[in-house]
Amino acid sequence: MMVFQVVGAFFAVFGFSIYLDVPKKYLRYCGYIGAIGWFVYLMAVKKMNVLMATFLATATIAFISHICARIFKAPVTVFLIAGIITLVPGAGMYRTVSQILLGNRSLAMEYLQETIQIAGMIALAIFIIDAIFRMIQAKKWKEKLPVKHK
Amino acid sequence: MNHKLLMETATLAGEIMLVNGAEIYRVEDTINRILSTAHLETTEAFVMSTGIVATLDGMGHENITIVKRITQRGMNLNRVATVNTISRKYCNDEISLEEANKQLKSINGNQFHPVVRSLSVLVIVSSFALLLGGGVWEVLGAGLTGLLLILSMNIGNKIGAIPFLQDLFSSAVIAIGAVLLKRYLPIELNMDLVIIGCIMPLVPGAAITNAIRDTLQGDYMAGLAKMLEAFVNAASIALGVGIGIAIMGGV
Repeated sequence: MMVFQVVGAFFAVFGFSIYLDVPKKYLRYCGYIGAIGWFVYLMAVKKMNVLMATFLATATIAFISHICARIFKAPVTVFLIAGIITLVPGAGMYRTVSQILLGNRSLAMEYLQETIQIAGMIALAIFIIDAIFRMIQAKKWKEKLPVKHK
Repeated sequence: MNHKLLMETATLAGEIMLVNGAEIYRVEDTINRILSTAHLETTEAFVMSTGIVATLDGMGHENITIVKRITQRGMNLNRVATVNTISRKYCNDEISLEEANKQLKSINGNQFHPVVRSLSVLVIVSSFALLLGGGVWEVLGAGLTGLLLILSMNIGNKIGAIPFLQDLFSSAVIAIGAVLLKRYLPIELNMDLVIIGCIMPLVPGAAITNAIRDTLQGDYMAGLAKMLEAFVNAASIALGVGIGIAIMGGV
């Protein structure tokens, strides 16, 4: 079952990359990143709660995206935006609405809270990985900074 | 060096990036790097999600300032990556200023045919049904509903409706389609998965990502604007699904 889900993640992210017009040569890398991210999520969600699993998966995706961006000399967003799409809480959004329509207000609130928390976790993970890479880059930059002509 | 052309090239690069969904800091960084090749004392770029201001000033030159208003906004990562490559090449002296300008001006269009893009939506919705744990019926159901989604997206584009209404309309159509499938097909179908899969092409994943990255850079205005965009987008999808299900008389 899990194999199917990971394959699904590959194609979902691949399709999304086409939809966002990611450069052709990077399409499959986006797919791999998405598949790895979803695999991490599925493994993690068995051992811990959804929030921590989302955090781990997003951090993995952001990390690989940064590495890919450095290897291929392309903007990080090219890999990141498509890659994290599997983790964006579309399901939570839908469940919140459907519970409101069913009249289960407390359940709807619970889903709403979870949706916002998941979005927050994605934010936090990208934040942290970005900050780490920024620190590394800042060091390199200072060494390479060209001398200004007067 | 032709400073006017330099300025034009720098702001053009910035404009293309901004229109196609790059982060604010990347746009500023690109403009600054291109301008800094003039080695003048003052090179400054100020970018917001709605416009660009850049200035170039130095000894013995007249100062040049350009203001550009940005009205359209989309998502096309190929153009962002291409501008990035061109600016990188120019700053490393691999191509001349004229060449860079010419290459920037020739950027337009999509890599993929509209049909391929539509097919990619089908791939997205079916794969999401699969990755969320759906079976054969859910994948097929999502594919069928995905056709409706493509249709409604194209209608929305043709009419030129504002994004909020487009998302509202598309997600209502999705919900109606999914409820119809559930009701009239004699199969055991998990309607939730079909709807969730189908709303995925509409969810604000890109806005969320950019909001976070802009905020981290200290571009709080752009970050807030993107966050608001994400919220509005999410709300319109939720509302649309709600309306769709309500029209069909409940789940």
